[in-house]
Amino acid sequence: MTRLLQIVLLMAVSVPSWAETLTVVIENIETAEGYIMLRVMHGKGEFKGEREALTSIKQRAIKGPMTFSVSNLPAGEYAIQVMHDENDNGKLDSNFIGIPSEPWAFSNNATGSMGPPAWDDMKFQLSGSITQSIQLNH
Amino acid sequence: MESNRRQFLKTTAAGLAMAAFSPLIKAGDPANGKAAIGEDSWAKAFQQSLEANPWLSGYKTASQNQYGGTAKIQGRWPKALTGTLYRNGPAQHEIGGVRYHHYFDGDGMLHAYRFSAEGVKHQAKIVETRKYKMEQEAGRVMYPTFGTMPNNPSPVTSPDLMNVANISVLPHHGKLMALWEAGSPWEVDAESLDTVGRYSFSSEMEGVPFAAHPRVEPDGTLWNFGYLSSANLLVLWHIDANGKMVKAGKISSDPISMPHDFVVTRKHIVLMMPPLNYQKSNELTPFLDNHKWEPDQATRILVVDKNDFSQYRWLELPSQWVFHFGNAWEDEAGVIRFDGARAEDPSIMTQHFRSLMRGEKLPSHPTFHHQYRIDTNNWTISEAPLLASDVHSEFPVIDPRVSTKQYHRIVMMTSRSSSPAIHGNLNEVSSFDFESGKLSTYRYPDTQIPEEHLFIPSPDSALETEGWVVGTAHDWQDQTTVLNVFDISAVEAGPIAVATLPYSMPLGLHGKFVQS
Repeated sequence: MTRLLQIVLLMAVSVPSWAETLTVVIENIETAEGYIMLRVMHGKGEFKGEREALTSIKQRAIKGPMTFSVSNLPAGEYAIQVMHDENDNGKLDSNFIGIPSEPWAFSNNATGSMGPPAWDDMKFQLSGSITQSIQLNH
Repeated sequence: MESNRRQFLKTTAAGLAMAAFSPLIKAGDPANGKAAIGEDSWAKAFQQSLEANPWLSGYKTASQNQYGGTAKIQGRWPKALTGTLYRNGPAQHEIGGVRYHHYFDGDGMLHAYRFSAEGVKHQAKIVETRKYKMEQEAGRVMYPTFGTMPNNPSPVTSPDLMNVANISVLPHHGKLMALWEAGSPWEVDAESLDTVGRYSFSSEMEGVPFAAHPRVEPDGTLWNFGYLSSANLLVLWHIDANGKMVKAGKISSDPISMPHDFVVTRKHIVLMMPPLNYQKSNELTPFLDNHKWEPDQATRILVVDKNDFSQYRWLELPSQWVFHFGNAWEDEAGVIRFDGARAEDPSIMTQHFRSLMRGEKLPSHPTFHHQYRIDTNNWTISEAPLLASDVHSEFPVIDPRVSTKQYHRIVMMTSRSSSPAIHGNLNEVSSFDFESGKLSTYRYPDTQIPEEHLFIPSPDSALETEGWVVGTAHDWQDQTTVLNVFDISAVEAGPIAVATLPYSMPLGLHGKFVQS
C-alpha cells in the first residue's frame, strides 16, 4: 500500500501540469453570419504548420463580443489565430490582390507587414488563467 | 465536426501562407513619426493666418455634416441646362479640435447642384465611410491619413481604413460613387446623398484599390487602375456599361509610384509613373511621407493593351509630375496623343497642400499644359507645350462624349505668371481649341477662388462647339459659393448665368454632370 502511494505521488510529480485556463474574448464580431474559428497554437511549430494546432474551435458567430474558454492546457508559449468565416466556406477569403476579405486577428492583436505577423509578436506565456482580448481586423 | 476541424486546420494554414495582405501602417507610438499630430498647433496657426488672409476661408473645416439651400439666380439660365452637377472634395479638416496636416486628408463631402425649371438647389452631405463613422464615435482621429499621422494610430490593415472618399465622383450604371485615391468606391444615394456603403464590382474585387479618375467611354465602358505602392502593385480594371467586371489585371514593377490619373485610347491604356517612389520605413510616417521624389530618375510611361493586360511596355520621359490629364486618342496610323498639366516636381502636393493647412503658402512649381505623342509603331514618346509659356493650367476636362476619341476642345483652370491673384490659386477658366490654337479665358475677380469647371455639352447638338462651361467658386469676401455658367464658345464674355448659394462650401476637387 505504501509502495502504491509512492508510485501515485511520483506520477503526480512527473506528469506536467495541465491545469492552465485560456480565455479568449473576441470583442467586435459585426455579423451573426457564418462561424468564428480559433486556432490555439502551442509553440512556434504549430504556427509554422509543422504539426497540428493544439486545439481548434469552430462556433456559430454571434454579433458582438464572444468569449471562448479552454481549460486543462499545459503551461507554456502560445498564440491564437482567429478568423470569421462569414460565408462558411471553410477558409479565410482574400481578394484579387491578397487582402483578406473576411475578418481576422491574432493574439496580442498583432499585425504583420506584407503577410501574417511574426511569432514573437503574437506569442504569450500561459500560466494560471489568462484572458486575451482580441479585436478582429475587418 | 472532425472533418470541419481538419478543414479549418488545413485552410487556416493555407490562409496564413497565402493571404499576403499588407498592413500599410502598424499601430504604435508615433514618437518618431515625421508628421505626428502631437500637440495640435496647426488649428491655431490656421486660425491666426485666416484673420490676416481671409481667402483661406475656403480651407476651413465644414461646420456642419450636411447642407441644403436654394441659389439666387442672376442672368439667363439656359433652358436646356437641366440635370445634376455632383462634386466631391475634402470638407471635414478637423476632428476633436485637431486639424489634419494635408488638404487631401479631410473626410469627403458630396454635393449635388440640381438644375431644373424651378431653379438651382444645392445639397451636400459628408460621405460616411467606415473611417468617418468610427472616428465620429471616438471623437478623434484614429487612423493615419494620406498626410497625417495621428497620436496612437490604429493599425491600417487594408487601404479602406484610410479611405475618406474625398477626391471625385462617379455616376455609373445607375449608381453614384464617391471615389478616393486608392481604395474602394463608396456608394451614395443619388437623390438623398445618404451613404449606402462600400461598393464592390465583384466579390473578388472587394477592397481592391480603385483610383479617383476612371475613364468612361461614350458607350459606358469603364477603365480604371488602382495601386498599392507598398507592394509595388498596379491593378487594372475593365468594367462594362452595366457595372459588371469584364476583366482585371495585375502589373508588378519596382517601383510603382503614385499615379493619380491616366488616359485611355481606342486600343491602349496609358499611365504615367513619376519618380515619387515608395520607401519602406520602420518609422511611423504618413503615406505621403513614405514616398521620395527622385528627380534624377525618369518618369516612366506604361502603355497597356486594352484587350490583354499582360501585354504592356514601358517608355521614358524626363522626370515630371502630372496630376491630371484631359483626354487621349489614337489615330489609324497608331499614334496616340494626350494632354496633361505638367509640373517639374510634385511640390504642389508634398509642400503646398500641406502648408495651406496651417495657413501658410509655400511656393510650388507651376503646371504647364503639354501634349504628349506616342508612336506605337516604333514606341517613341515626345512632349511639347500646348499653351503660351506664361499660362499655368490644371483640371483639364473634355466633352464626355469624346472621351477616348479625337477631341477638339479642352476646358481647364488657368492663371498667368504675369498677373497672379491675391490668393495665388488658379483664377481663370479657359477653353482651348486645338484647331485654332486659341485660348478663350475669363478671369475671376480676386475675391473668388474658382474650382474645377466642367464642359457640359448641349443636349441639342452633337458638336463640341455647343454647350456650357459650368463651375463653382468660393467667394471669400461674401462668404458664399457661386456657380457660374458660360457659353462654351464665348468663355471670355463671362458668365451668362450665376447661381449664388446663401452660404459657402469648403473648396473641393472634382465633379461630374448627370443630364436629367
